[in-house]
Amino acid sequence: MIDAVERVTGRIRFSQDASLPGMLHAAAVRSVVPHGRIARIDTAAALEVPGVVAVVTGEDLRRLPGLRPVYGPQIEDQPVVALDCVRYVGDIVALVAAETLQAAQEAAALVAVECEELPAVFDPLEALEPSAPLLHELEPERPHEGTALYFGIRPQFGTNCCNLFRIRRGDVARGFAEADLVIEETFRTPAIQHVAMEPHAALALWEDGRLTVWSGTQTPFNTRQILAEIFGLPVERVRVIVPPMGGSYGCKVFPRIEPQAALLAYVTGRPVKFVLRRDEEFVTLTRHATVVTIRLGLTRDGRITAKEVRAYWNTGAYADCGPDVARKGGFGIVGPYRIPHVAVDSRCVYTNLPPAGAFRGYAVTQAAWASESMMDIAADALGLDPLEFRLRNLLRDGETFATGETLHDVHFAECLERAAAAIGWEGPWRHELGDGRVRAKGLAVVLKGMTTPSRSEAKVGIDRSGRVTVYSSTVELGQGARTVLAQLAAEALGVPYQEIRVVDPDTARTPFDNRTTSSRSTYMMGNAVRQAALALRERLLRIAAERLEVEQADLELMDGSVRVAGAPASALKFGELVEASRQEALVEHGEFRNQGGLDPDTGQGIASSHWHQGAGAVEVEVDTRTGKVTILHAHASVYAGQVVNRHTAELQNLGNIVFGLGSALFEELVYEQGQLVNPNLSDYLIPSFLDLPERMTHDLVERPGAEIHGLGETALPTIPAAVGNAVARAIGARVTELPLTPERVLRAIRARGGERG
Amino acid sequence: MEQSITIELNGERRALTVRTDATLLEVLRDGCGLSSVRETCGIGICGACAVLVDGVPISSCLLLAPLADGCRITTVEGLSRGDELHPVQRAFIEQMAFQCSYCTPGMVLSAVALLAEHPDPSPEEIAEYLAGNLCRCGSYPRILAAVSDAARLMRQASR
Repeated sequence: MIDAVERVTGRIRFSQDASLPGMLHAAAVRSVVPHGRIARIDTAAALEVPGVVAVVTGEDLRRLPGLRPVYGPQIEDQPVVALDCVRYVGDIVALVAAETLQAAQEAAALVAVECEELPAVFDPLEALEPSAPLLHELEPERPHEGTALYFGIRPQFGTNCCNLFRIRRGDVARGFAEADLVIEETFRTPAIQHVAMEPHAALALWEDGRLTVWSGTQTPFNTRQILAEIFGLPVERVRVIVPPMGGSYGCKVFPRIEPQAALLAYVTGRPVKFVLRRDEEFVTLTRHATVVTIRLGLTRDGRITAKEVRAYWNTGAYADCGPDVARKGGFGIVGPYRIPHVAVDSRCVYTNLPPAGAFRGYAVTQAAWASESMMDIAADALGLDPLEFRLRNLLRDGETFATGETLHDVHFAECLERAAAAIGWEGPWRHELGDGRVRAKGLAVVLKGMTTPSRSEAKVGIDRSGRVTVYSSTVELGQGARTVLAQLAAEALGVPYQEIRVVDPDTARTPFDNRTTSSRSTYMMGNAVRQAALALRERLLRIAAERLEVEQADLELMDGSVRVAGAPASALKFGELVEASRQEALVEHGEFRNQGGLDPDTGQGIASSHWHQGAGAVEVEVDTRTGKVTILHAHASVYAGQVVNRHTAELQNLGNIVFGLGSALFEELVYEQGQLVNPNLSDYLIPSFLDLPERMTHDLVERPGAEIHGLGETALPTIPAAVGNAVARAIGARVTELPLTPERVLRAIRARGGERG
Repeated sequence: MEQSITIELNGERRALTVRTDATLLEVLRDGCGLSSVRETCGIGICGACAVLVDGVPISSCLLLAPLADGCRITTVEGLSRGDELHPVQRAFIEQMAFQCSYCTPGMVLSAVALLAEHPDPSPEEIAEYLAGNLCRCGSYPRILAAVSDAARLMRQASR
């Protein structure tokens, strides 16, 4: 990485390290009830704490003229501070700004909130009952005024469903009629948390009616837009600057704490910094808990005739990007298979739990848990090898997906075969060690879309010193964006990438980009940077050709200069060419778009301009006496197309495997009547060195000349499903709910014993 | 309440006035401007705030600053000499043993302490020793390789 020295010396500055003279510190007062009407808030004692400058409640917010107090990326349902109602334990009821963090936190604890409790609902299926309390009253005439509406969403008015996404392809009734065998099963996943090591941190400053926010966010432009709407400003008066992040994995997608920091800065007229405590992180954003029921029609020879899916995504108290998660999960659950008749109803449902949103794998982990478990159940029911059964049904190049789009550059079978080979699939899939321990293997294969439509722009410039600078709004969250974008510019310009400067995202300086999500950046922004760099190369060649009085075709770029091919003496340094052009700098612009979109009622259209494809394979050992699962070998094979940087690519794959193992084996947010009982790293475990599998391997499937395929997420969703399939094979019973804790595994073993006995 | 303490911080004697309830983490980070010392869990589980106190890795979020009085404290800022990186840091770069690198300073310090105790650790010993340092990016395999490399480099250098 070009910033490696900064990183190992600790000199790198994250948003948590941002500070300004005279800045205040923020603390939040949070709801202790899951649903309630706010009766009274007493801030008197809090205001007495020395150093406290302001306490802001919903009532204050409402009194501020010209402010829009409610925001959201897809549905405007989240107040900056609770207005009349609290909707989950952890909802922000008041905000405090003080000279020190200690004073702010002390004061926050002294704010007295009286709430009339309302009935609460936590389960997405219960939340859809007619008798369930409604969390929001979405209005048909204003279903959404959000700003990220790159797709239609379908709230079901008068219910807690904030989006119903459907796929209708063929006729499932006919498909089931044609089947020799119809199977049905329901699968569940819990809410989990991202646990980025660096918490959410934002610093807000108002100057002359302009707002500047430093924040670790994956979405600088969405955040700018939403802040502008809240404060009634043109977007040009809001500036979002994004330092590198100490991890995100989706939790820093869309505004999280920026509106709150900006509000306090607005009220106090001072810069305000807001950093979340770890327990607050846990109630700020989660991965959607899901309930998914799949019905599959099968022929004896191992073909899938029909698939019917009912999926429920528990989005908690605020929609955030849940509507889109339900959509992406909706087609994700179909899986990379040839199925003539498909019907999917995917519902995003409000409940009185912390909001759920983007999470590495974006719906596909939950989708694959259900659909890839179901594939193994189907193979067992048909008496087929799960690998062979999948290979018979996997989509091949030029075939049509359930959305009606034709897939190209398809490598599902290759990924799966490679993964299977890596763990020695042809060998016995299960063997008993004789002492209660059983070893078994499992597979999974996934498809994952990339945000479509979307757009990335970049600028690449050279100044009179010859220094190349890349201007890009792709954020650096550890994936190595700075390095990879520098490499792509360097390739076009013939300079060492280590000498290229990459400007961190700053909406006032770096051009537009949709966001750093969806494993899209190396491909989308990479292409924008490449285009800009190639345009710059052209310009340099033109200037040099003129100066040297030769044809452009006779020139080459080498070591920061342009020269007649093979004639070093003719070299003109980049800086000289800039000077010759009589400009301070030469700057070129690049833009890359992908196009498509789905009809929300039929799911037909273009879901993704190209597809992330991957397969996972694991060998586990289950101790049937204790239910403990040990991972002996985990492998992921991922389609990469073209690899730009082997180090960062490998780190993504390995990281995804580790991340997936946490989700497979132990990560789970546990709620008791809406109260999170494990909001800390002692009770909520993430993988440590001691949780690594005995063997961990991966491979990147490459094709010369192919498109770059992002690798930030693809391997992750394969892992829990592959582990689940291996465990099911080991114990002869299916655990349908993640994570695969010893308790759940043991219960499944005992239930099986009961059946047999 | 405040109290005066004297510590040796990265080889420099420092007299500080600290709140009696301030953690060493707060004092190093906010008081001394050492932003490599980072808080993640706040309860001594993750190792992101690890510093060496008299050569021993300690979660600075759990140590009250007054208790560090008279101690020798090393943060990652104190490891490199000018531009010359510590062999552990060099090995981390060579293996690219990080993604976001938020945990890296704590990892590096724990590895330095490990190698001071065990110059030739097995991969199992490294994993065991570093189990108190979490890396959410999951760069663990690379970190194990980096620590092994560093051990080899340091053994060769001391020969």
